[in-house]
Amino acid sequence: VAEVAFGLASCLRPADPLSLIQVALVEAQRSQRTPGEDLRVWFFRALVRAYRDTAPARDGDPRLDDTPDLYLYARSAAAGVSMDGPDPAAGLLERLEPERVVAALARLAEEYRLVCSCYFLGNLSYAEMAVVLEYPVGTVRARLHRGRRMLQKALWQVSGEDGLTPPPPREATP
Amino acid sequence: MNRRLDRTTCEETFRRLDDYVDRQLSPDEMRLIEAHLQECAACSREFVFEASVIREVRRKLRRLDAPSALLDRISEQISRAAQDGEEPGPGS
Repeated sequence: VAEVAFGLASCLRPADPLSLIQVALVEAQRSQRTPGEDLRVWFFRALVRAYRDTAPARDGDPRLDDTPDLYLYARSAAAGVSMDGPDPAAGLLERLEPERVVAALARLAEEYRLVCSCYFLGNLSYAEMAVVLEYPVGTVRARLHRGRRMLQKALWQVSGEDGLTPPPPREATP
Repeated sequence: MNRRLDRTTCEETFRRLDDYVDRQLSPDEMRLIEAHLQECAACSREFVFEASVIREVRRKLRRLDAPSALLDRISEQISRAAQDGEEPGPGS
């Protein structure tokens, strides 16, 4: 639990994950754990509450809003990135540092970043994520699917900025 | 989501790809999608790629290291908070 909690705190507050964990510990002691409740679900819920209580809500990168399905697949194919083997996304993502994946996640609007962080780190079911995030299951599902699409575009942006892919085409500003 | 699929097409498969990746479909729907993926090379490539993106992102994020002494301390604090915060059971 500690390892995943640290990873989750690092995604939500990359500059100071420890302080978020300290606030979460206080919140966890305040919110009673029902007998038999999964320790991960109980502590991650406290962590998310601590994050919401201490961070101002922030918008994401608006360029991610209209990300189509299969964004990385289409971009990788068009750019000639190797997509062979059992792990075809490794050709694009293996050279990205973990901190750059966190940077890509940070470009998502709050509600998508929270769901995606729980999904990728927590190994939780939709129902468990619903308890952790205090959303209905349908909201978790919809935000996760959309958030994953947005994250693909953010990963492509970050890879381009790091010189790992051709730079993304300039998008017209309104 | 529970609508019966009489014939699984590329479009049907595409709409269910996220739920399939997360194993959120009914066993019948899972079997239909699996059967389509075995027949359709294009959908199968897309599925393998999407699943690979998820695996790679998970792999990266799990490499966000913290010193083991720090993790031990956090673990101890979580256990203590869990004991302190435990609601008394019906028999206690």
